[in-house]
Amino acid sequence: MIIADRKPFEEIKELTSKAKNILIAGCDSCVAVCLASGEKEVAVLASELRMQRKMDGLEGEIEEIVNVRQCENEYVDAMRDKVEKADLILSMACGVGVQTLAERFPDKLAYPALNTKFMGRPVEPGVWKENCEGCGHCILHLTGGICPVARCSKSMLNGPCGGSQGGKCEVDPEIDCGWQLIYDRLSRLGQLDALVEIMLSKDWSTSWSGGPRRVIKESAGV
Amino acid sequence: MNFSGYGTVRNFSEMKGTELKESSEKTGAVLVVGGGIAGMQASLDLADSGFKVYLAEKSPFIGGKMTQLDKTFPTNDCATCILTPRMVDVAENKNIELLVYSEVEEIKGYGGNFDVKIRQKATYVDWSKCTGCEECVSKCPAKIDDEFNQGLGRTKAISLPFPQAVPKKVTIKREFCHFFLKGKCRVCEKVCQLGAIDFDDQDQIIERKVGAIILAPGYEVYDAHHSPEFGFGRYPNVVTSLQFERLLSAAGPTGGHVQRPSDSQKPKRIAFLQCVGSRDQDHGYCSSVCCMYATKEAILAKEHDPDVDVDIYIMDMRAFGKGYDDYYNRAVEEYGIRYIRCRPSAIKEIPQSKNLLIKYQEGREGLRTEEYDLAILSVGLGPGSSSLSLSQKLDLQLNEYGFYQSDPFQPLLSDKPGVYVCGVFTEPKDIPESVIQASGCAALAAGLLAEARGSLVLEKTYPPEKDVSAEEPRIGVFVCHCGSNIAGVVDVNQVAEYARSLPGVAYVETDLFTCAQDTVLEMREKIKEHNLNRIVVSACTPLTHAPLFQETMQEAGLNPYLFEMANIRNQCSWVHAREPEKATEKAKELVRMSVARAAHLEPLTKFPMPLNHDALVVGGGISGMTASLALADQGFEVYLVEREGRLGGIANRLHYVFENQDPGELVTSLARKVEEHPRIHLYLHTELKKFSGFVGNFRSILSRRTDDGAGEEIEVEHGAIIVATGGQEYLGPDYGYSRDVRILTQLELEEKIASNGSVLQGIKDVVMIQCVGSRTKVRPYCSRICCGEAVKNALRLKEINPEARIFVLYKDIRTYGFMEKYYTEAREKGVIFVRYDDEHLPEVIVAGGRFGPKSGSNEHQRETEKQAAPHTQDMAFSVGQPEPTGHSTAATMQGRGETSASEQYWDSLTVRFYEPILDEMLELHPDLLVLSTGVVPSEGYEELSRLLKAPITQDGFFLEAHVKLRPVDVAFEGIFLCGLSHYPKYIHESIAQAQAAAGRAATILSKKFLEVGGAIAEVDSEKCVACLTCVRVCPYYVPIINVEGVAQIDPAACQGCGICTAECPVRAISLRHYLDEQIIPKVESLLAGVV
Repeated sequence: MIIADRKPFEEIKELTSKAKNILIAGCDSCVAVCLASGEKEVAVLASELRMQRKMDGLEGEIEEIVNVRQCENEYVDAMRDKVEKADLILSMACGVGVQTLAERFPDKLAYPALNTKFMGRPVEPGVWKENCEGCGHCILHLTGGICPVARCSKSMLNGPCGGSQGGKCEVDPEIDCGWQLIYDRLSRLGQLDALVEIMLSKDWSTSWSGGPRRVIKESAGV
Repeated sequence: MNFSGYGTVRNFSEMKGTELKESSEKTGAVLVVGGGIAGMQASLDLADSGFKVYLAEKSPFIGGKMTQLDKTFPTNDCATCILTPRMVDVAENKNIELLVYSEVEEIKGYGGNFDVKIRQKATYVDWSKCTGCEECVSKCPAKIDDEFNQGLGRTKAISLPFPQAVPKKVTIKREFCHFFLKGKCRVCEKVCQLGAIDFDDQDQIIERKVGAIILAPGYEVYDAHHSPEFGFGRYPNVVTSLQFERLLSAAGPTGGHVQRPSDSQKPKRIAFLQCVGSRDQDHGYCSSVCCMYATKEAILAKEHDPDVDVDIYIMDMRAFGKGYDDYYNRAVEEYGIRYIRCRPSAIKEIPQSKNLLIKYQEGREGLRTEEYDLAILSVGLGPGSSSLSLSQKLDLQLNEYGFYQSDPFQPLLSDKPGVYVCGVFTEPKDIPESVIQASGCAALAAGLLAEARGSLVLEKTYPPEKDVSAEEPRIGVFVCHCGSNIAGVVDVNQVAEYARSLPGVAYVETDLFTCAQDTVLEMREKIKEHNLNRIVVSACTPLTHAPLFQETMQEAGLNPYLFEMANIRNQCSWVHAREPEKATEKAKELVRMSVARAAHLEPLTKFPMPLNHDALVVGGGISGMTASLALADQGFEVYLVEREGRLGGIANRLHYVFENQDPGELVTSLARKVEEHPRIHLYLHTELKKFSGFVGNFRSILSRRTDDGAGEEIEVEHGAIIVATGGQEYLGPDYGYSRDVRILTQLELEEKIASNGSVLQGIKDVVMIQCVGSRTKVRPYCSRICCGEAVKNALRLKEINPEARIFVLYKDIRTYGFMEKYYTEAREKGVIFVRYDDEHLPEVIVAGGRFGPKSGSNEHQRETEKQAAPHTQDMAFSVGQPEPTGHSTAATMQGRGETSASEQYWDSLTVRFYEPILDEMLELHPDLLVLSTGVVPSEGYEELSRLLKAPITQDGFFLEAHVKLRPVDVAFEGIFLCGLSHYPKYIHESIAQAQAAAGRAATILSKKFLEVGGAIAEVDSEKCVACLTCVRVCPYYVPIINVEGVAQIDPAACQGCGICTAECPVRAISLRHYLDEQIIPKVESLLAGVV
């Protein structure tokens, strides 16, 4: 899922300081599940902002709304009544959600309250780690189910490099060496011979370097 | 709050399983002697499973020695914090009659029917009137040494022993009272506004009929005056470990500041002397707890003052319990506590500074002397003060040390039928062991009295509850003076006047003591008279007092959840004593908040949920069979599942214990009883495959291997489950194991000794290596039984051949309790014990190379570790046959560091080790090398843990709900643990724990209904986004994501802790009684006018 993290309050305070009526819009999908959004986080931020703005002598109302997925036109359109009363929509969704709001309500300001981080998963309560960069061409079947693109700090296809020490990455001792993980997993699966094959340079044209991408599923077209 | 048990269940029909007879020949009541942690546990378990309990305690309060402890090892949990709720539970339980300040006078009768006489000593205070306000204490002129603080502080002739005492009532000590001594004073009588002082009070003789008796009289610590060489009583800065607990305690005489008695200065250097009153000429036993409590006290001393230096003079570090070695390692590595392996013979004082000198031996360097500011004597546990008289009354024989030593295969039985024994009365032991034994005694007593279950318990009924849902709030506010506790600071009348002005308040009164008996009775009338539908008591803490008022409300037909307390004493008058005006204002605010919340409270009901009264026991070893029998004897149906084709588990490989009994015979007799018992349904070749449901209503699928190999599935429903999956011998490749027939494990040696000991007659030299697969980096835990196993087998070998030379290479010999005398015996018979440490590991040289611990395998990769194959073929060795070439079997001394492996050792077995006293490397060529291999969990423990949602420790043992006070419960309710699946332990300990698991399970299975509901969490499935947060944060493993893809919280299992409610990102979970709609008005009322 998409992992996000709330912006520092100081930053949110700044970017909302000129608005009068604010609608804080949460999303109940990925960002709620990673505890960055959802009704509680929306209420907490709304409460913080109300207190701050009262101390700063700012006027105006702060409204709260949460919908199922802020990246879908239908759900976003259903917010219209509350949006109309607001000068600024403060989105507690990922970057996709913020852009959906901007597109559906072209005359309203839609600002982000979160920093969208990566595609990843929870590894322990309160800790999420990155697993996928969305490169557009998956090779997990070759690397023991561990992605060298996302989990090797250098995205090496034929690792590890000399910076792998005791299973950790030289970039940060908190980071597991992706290639050590690949080696351990292949060893467990009895597929270490796969590492004898040199992987040729990856076709990055499917990745972001080709500009914004799109997916077309013919059968889904109506 | 106590809504469980028989108190409020109203519908008793539709009972399945156990039949509860209304009357019977046996008496459905139990006398528990001793109100310490063991006695309390036994009382609670019995009262919760349908028996009346009389709890007799000789002191005026319950809780025993644990009340004097500051923290508990190995978690550093505050002793008072975990004990107080337990004491309150005992006091509130309607089926426990508390007889404190009482001693057993006479016992007549037999198992099933005893007549007991109990002498309740005069307290000279009418406890029905006393509220524990302590005004009398503050005015009493007779200052005396404070016994509770071990003589370190002062108290009065009339006193409450400590602030959290249960019952919270004062007692006059006649021998110190001025009135009794001189005929005048009576100050307490004058100041007591309730007229509770009664100088004419007399001892009472109370007669009760009981079916069984549980003895838990506890212990006294060794009186250090009897070891004058340490100067206790003469040198002020020599204190006992129990005195030091009081010095550490925030509630102690120095307010938690560690000071030395001579000058109240902070000590800079502290020494602990271990084994004072243990392991000596007069006390041939080990007290089992002193190593750990000294470590704890040392850690706490360091936490109080990181600059203090702590040395512990110790012989063996006996950290043999779960998590204990880890604690010890932290003491050394993180806290820098120094353990000095020496037993100093005396302490000397420097008269000027009152500092203390300790002389000790350090290796070959000779005698050294160290100076300390404070010396602590780690005093051992001796028999309880009433142990002797109690055993005489019952005609029980105490052992040479004054303990009641029971049969190892019937550890909780006394020689007298119907009388059960637990706690330190039987042997020194720590808190969890005592709690385990107490629960086990409860199970056995319940088994004896099964037919009388429910015959004497109180079934309290209340008038029908008034429906107040449509009514406007009519709040009654009761403001308490608490004598002068509150009224001495807060203007109570002003607070009452203010309360009258608050919205929704219909009635206000002030009371001298709202909790006094007559006031409580009047409250019931006031509720009716003023048609009140919410109650706010503005007094002290709900922890101790809410249940009293809630019961009053129920008696008046009000739902007990329509209640709120404002603590204007502990949180106001006590902390703002110097600012009475501000305190009064704060009291008003606290009352305003409570009134605001009270107006939004809603009635909550608990509803009875039917449950299944059968039990599933997984594992058919000694533990599993014992647990099954203890449950079946109580009348419950038991499904016993064993993976193998025969019962007995690892005990099938044991042949004798210290006391000479044969575990094989035990297995045979248990197996016969199990097979013949009409209520035990035995499934051999069967494993647990699926498991679902919640406490009271579990559903399991068992998979049985049939003869045709096809296999079948059996579905069983049960209300509780006991995990008794056992453990197995560690069989790693350490020290050349499996490479030479002369290298055996202790179990293999035991089998050999038992089957044909005579082949061992020619054995000359034997080396035993301890801690093989235990206390290593991979397995940091102590396997607890290997020291005893080694000593036991060494003694057997000495019997077979007294000339045999036996060398035991050890880290610490952990023969705790009465096992110490066998260790002594082994040394007397010439067994040589040589200590090694991690810097000097022994080395074995045998065909194929040199081997140490875990040779050739990767130390940090436990998963990949392969167990070495045990000797499957019959070991065709005969003694003396493979005589090593070129060497006698005598030890060969070699220079330190000299390498010696060469071709000539090819067919010899060589053990090289460092001898610390000689400071030399030694080599032995034994005929037999015996590895004391540890205990590891049974195969499949991880899978079982996942299946049951029962957590395991990093060592693979199932994790109990609380290491001290819930040692057989799993956090997930309805699952219980026993035997090796919990931790390595001896047979007698497994038996006690199995009986305890049965006792704990019976507290559920004996209920006619489970009461569910009340203040529990509820999920709004419309809002839930299935994020799994609740599933992950719940400490009781209750929430699940159900087939509809939303979180579900089973009301029977929810403990109402509120963690999921706070964590839910979409606010889909609410905790009843603590709803936002109730809490937010409370906060807003505080902030009214501010925000």
